Amino acid sequence: MEFITGRHLERRTFLKGMGATVALPFLDAMVPAGRLGASMARRADPTRLVAIEMVHGAAGSNEWGATQNLWAPAAVGHDFDLTPSALLPLDPWREYLTIISNTDVRMAEPFSAKEIGGDHFRSSAVFLTQSHPKQTEGSDVYAGTSLDQIHAHRFGQDTPIPSMQLCIENINQSGGCAYGYTCVYTDSISWASPSEPLPVIRDPRVAFEQLFGVGGTKAEREFRRRTSGSILDWVTGRIAQLERELGPNDRERLDRYLQDVRELERRIQTVEARNLSGQERELPEAPAGVPDLFEEHMKLMWDVQALAFASDVTRVFSFKMSRDSSARVFPESGTDRPFHPASHHGGRESAIQDFHLINRYHVSMLPYFLEKLKGIQEGDTHMLDKTMIIYGSPMGDPNLHNHRRNPLVVLGGANGRLEGNLHLKAPDGTPMSNAMLGLLHRLGHDDMTSFGDSTSELGLGRKV
Amino acid sequence: MKTLTGIFVTLGVLLAATGDATVPNGGTDFTPQFGVSSDNDAILSDNDLVQQYCVGCHNDRRLRGNMSLEGFNAERPEDNGALAEAMIVKLRAGMMPPPGVRRPSGDALQVLAASLEERIDVAAVRDPNPGGRTFQRLNQIEYERSIENLLGLDIDGGQFLPLDTKSANFDNIADVQLLSPTLLDAYLNAAAVVSRLAVGDRDAAASSSTYTNSGYTTQWDRAEGAPYGTRGGISVTHNFVADGEYEFRLALEHTTTGEYYGGTIPREQLEVSIDGERVALVDVDTWMNVADPNGVNMRTEPVFVRAGPRRVTAAFLKQHEGPMEDLLSPHDWSLADRQIGVRGYGVTSPAHLKDLVVAGPTNVTGVSHTPTRERIFTCRPTAASEERTCAESIINRLGSQAFRRPLTDDDLPALMDFYEYGSDEGGFEIGVRTALEALLASPDFVFRFEEAPEGVEIGTNYEISDVDLASRLSFFLWGGPPDSELVALASQGELSDEAVLEGQVRRMLADPRSEALATRFAAQWLRLDDLDQVHPDRLLFPDFHQQLSDAMRSETELFFSNLVREDLSFFDLYTADYTFLNERLARHYGVQGVRGEGFRKVQYPDERRRGLFGHGSILTLTSHAGRTSPVLRGKWVMEVMLGTPPPPPPPNVPDLDETATSVEGRALTTRERMEVHRSNPSCNSCHRFMDPIGLALETYDVIGQWRLRENGIPVDSQGELYDGTIISSPVELQSALLKRPIPLVRTFTQNLMAYALGRRVEFYDQTAIRSIVREAEKNDYQMSAFILGVVKSDAFRMQRAGAVADAASD
Repeated sequence: MEFITGRHLERRTFLKGMGATVALPFLDAMVPAGRLGASMARRADPTRLVAIEMVHGAAGSNEWGATQNLWAPAAVGHDFDLTPSALLPLDPWREYLTIISNTDVRMAEPFSAKEIGGDHFRSSAVFLTQSHPKQTEGSDVYAGTSLDQIHAHRFGQDTPIPSMQLCIENINQSGGCAYGYTCVYTDSISWASPSEPLPVIRDPRVAFEQLFGVGGTKAEREFRRRTSGSILDWVTGRIAQLERELGPNDRERLDRYLQDVRELERRIQTVEARNLSGQERELPEAPAGVPDLFEEHMKLMWDVQALAFASDVTRVFSFKMSRDSSARVFPESGTDRPFHPASHHGGRESAIQDFHLINRYHVSMLPYFLEKLKGIQEGDTHMLDKTMIIYGSPMGDPNLHNHRRNPLVVLGGANGRLEGNLHLKAPDGTPMSNAMLGLLHRLGHDDMTSFGDSTSELGLGRKV
Repeated sequence: MKTLTGIFVTLGVLLAATGDATVPNGGTDFTPQFGVSSDNDAILSDNDLVQQYCVGCHNDRRLRGNMSLEGFNAERPEDNGALAEAMIVKLRAGMMPPPGVRRPSGDALQVLAASLEERIDVAAVRDPNPGGRTFQRLNQIEYERSIENLLGLDIDGGQFLPLDTKSANFDNIADVQLLSPTLLDAYLNAAAVVSRLAVGDRDAAASSSTYTNSGYTTQWDRAEGAPYGTRGGISVTHNFVADGEYEFRLALEHTTTGEYYGGTIPREQLEVSIDGERVALVDVDTWMNVADPNGVNMRTEPVFVRAGPRRVTAAFLKQHEGPMEDLLSPHDWSLADRQIGVRGYGVTSPAHLKDLVVAGPTNVTGVSHTPTRERIFTCRPTAASEERTCAESIINRLGSQAFRRPLTDDDLPALMDFYEYGSDEGGFEIGVRTALEALLASPDFVFRFEEAPEGVEIGTNYEISDVDLASRLSFFLWGGPPDSELVALASQGELSDEAVLEGQVRRMLADPRSEALATRFAAQWLRLDDLDQVHPDRLLFPDFHQQLSDAMRSETELFFSNLVREDLSFFDLYTADYTFLNERLARHYGVQGVRGEGFRKVQYPDERRRGLFGHGSILTLTSHAGRTSPVLRGKWVMEVMLGTPPPPPPPNVPDLDETATSVEGRALTTRERMEVHRSNPSCNSCHRFMDPIGLALETYDVIGQWRLRENGIPVDSQGELYDGTIISSPVELQSALLKRPIPLVRTFTQNLMAYALGRRVEFYDQTAIRSIVREAEKNDYQMSAFILGVVKSDAFRMQRAGAVADAASD
């Protein structure tokens, strides 16, 4: 994957080294003196974020589909009916659901003649950045810093892994994508900076090992953890010797190394202590690899994310549920038309309905995750209350490759900053970035005044 | 002066020219008159020269080049070493005063540089400064080589360790090798995985490893390592962790609309082989589609494989021999156009293997003997009572090798404790494995500590120990740990003996491992890594592909390696009339008579190519996808060869790509577009240095092929070098540069030194560099003279004790 340059790989491989550490929910006692400072107290429990991209828009973004309420329900406010909508599977979860309809992703539109038609290869980079990607097949990629990374930069630094990027479809369709766009625009929704697209993990096993340590079984992981503990013990002794042997040039660096050893020891000890007190979160056997079935793959990815939140290894995920132009078939959806061909429904009503089935099927993947998060008790509340899940698409009507009336819903309590059971319909022509600016504020980035091409903040209802 | 434009007047010519100074005529017999302040400006003092010709721009107010020479005393340059050395670089390169600005005639400026140098060097003798740095850690590639050296195990360091941060071109600069808990954890994890791979793991759980073909790979030719009679595919060395069943999954390339790519060849077969022996043959279903339940993927039945490193290849059976003719001749890069690979008539496009996944093991039966196990288990206990003794001998041997020194009385018992801990858990082998894990995670393996004399005072210089010198030597010359001969000499305290040291350097240079000087040092110095960043436009250059790009890199590395091995002159980098080619690259250059995949030394048939400037690697890595970039090429020469990097462009400068590409319907050449671009005066002040250099190379296209026309218009490669020389071809550029060899030689030495020392070269190192260059001159600039010069320098053999700031500390 030639787009992994410099820091991206660094991070990815750093993650591989997470070894035997399963960090635990944040406790004040765990903060090493002087490392994180008093400011931490304020954001000791920041909102967890999962930003999910679905490609190809929705049937309800089509003009006719919209009149049929295939995505956005007819009524705004609290009393909306989801029966015709692709969002129907979320009806049981409506107290955690905020629908933000009628926003546009203008930055995904072509800006010049040679960009026309390249929507599939450009849009994903726009979703969380709301910035217009520079058309290039070279390494001089440029989009914007993505919403999830803004959150990770500020609130993800206290966990072992600041953020993680997951996907479902095979990425990096080699040989360049098309229309003069390098594949990173098609594959990466997370951008650490406008020029740093982050690599994505598709294999749940890889994600699992990065989060929870290498080892196929719990016993193996435990043995490794213990061995690492003893090694660190020995290393500490060796450092004391080295203090005497090395010159002044090295002492400061050696101290730094000792701090790192202590930090790792601390992580291991807290896990051990937790194990002894019988409160360990049950970690299942590591998944063996990428399963063939979409639904199975999805569930493993949800498991990994829920587990990571439960053990506070990371607080930020981005999750790319599909890839533009994917021709995957979802037989369980009720249609066997491949995804991309189905999205070019030609405006025919029956074909739109077919496509709609796929949209609804995708949405039906979410309740499994919501259930998992709700099952994670956190004091007198649960993880779903502490989480914000964004689910949307940078495409509107895929038949026209337009970016109007794009799908966007938000789930979870966001630490009490989303009221839920709400359908907000934005005024015509509202950029999606306005909604995202609102979401960023609710995530705790109150000082942000703009995001992407935002023109103002879209009000997102009462803050509970 | 005749091209003088308005801006250059305002740049300070008038300010610099005080009165009607007649320019001193400095002939060869010119001797600088120190400290003379005379009305007769035929002989100016150094300070007057600086005042008259430099301070006009480089003063506190104008600060051109962010430099002021207002308070600078040329009689005592050592008082302001950094500034003086910066001046020397520009003067030696002949770049200052800039073109169009009045200069003293003759060699007055060279004499000024020489006298500055002399004064600095004399002062340095009184107070030598070898510099200092903190300890280095094994970077990715050094880690790989250390593991290979210790265990004979070929691993991918990138799988475990973060990408290395580079500083001053190199990935081994100590003070940017940051430490963090995550990094420490990465080494711990690597130790756990590698020790299991080495010993084998009966309890290994099934997992999968994916090997991916770059999309730029062509699938026409046999992949390196694949059996003959195959084409394309993927061939890798996979370390099987246990004897057991493994499944091989094959993901094929598909078109953007989801169809299997390669439908124009009706019957394809994919062979999976292990160590050259076929274990599966799969018929490719040409009607596969991403929409199918299995997508465009295939898999083998589970195959029983024994543990150890094995060559795994998945490749297509080759169905025909000889050139392919069709309605359209197929392009070399088999995936250049993804649309025609579907089912078009008359265009043959071969299927493309995207991923090879090795999944397993299941049904593990045990762990067979592997080369690595044989290397580890040099003894085999036959009774429980022998186990500890055997383990001790194994660990003692591995330990001293891993730590690059004999084990101390503290090391061995500690490591034996790990053995006991492991053997309690799972017996003898697990015991040895656990001790190995501890070894690999130990700071004595991961870091290259250098002992300091006890109680050394800050600011004093001391010689590093022989054992530490052995490691410095081997990581410099071999890019990896020292061998037993070096360690033995070092432990006996003989290595620091001048004659012994020189003998060892010569021995090491003759050893094949010295190729690291090419693949590690030269590759980084010349920025060969950038080659992977350039993907020439697939429609303009459909014959360019990964293997060709790799061949270009090999050419440059082999060329440099040959310089070292044959101990040739540094100037061969510029003047060589030979290079190293294989058939594909020879065809690319239009050189006849080279057959086969192997590289060999080839004489250039004519003067079009000479030295590095004719290498496809350099020419491609300094190009854009769709056009050449004289700017990038000029910048590369200025940075890499001359050591005078141009400043970055000011903000808000329009990109060349934003200037018009055609005028009145006629496509402009790159040169014409540049001239439009350069009409902006603030751009021109730097571009007049860079562009003529790059323009002289315009006869090479984006991928380094010779050309006479661009867009149908004859290439105009003529330009005026910053010293006024008119150059219009690569050879003329080369000879113009060679007129001033000092910056070329010093820049090379400086890079060599930074790489050898693991720290950036500072102004106080310039004295040593000048002395190395002087010695090299006596030896006809042979490569060994530079290398020995660096090895014998104080900077390499000594260290100044001082609190070196760690870039990690904040």
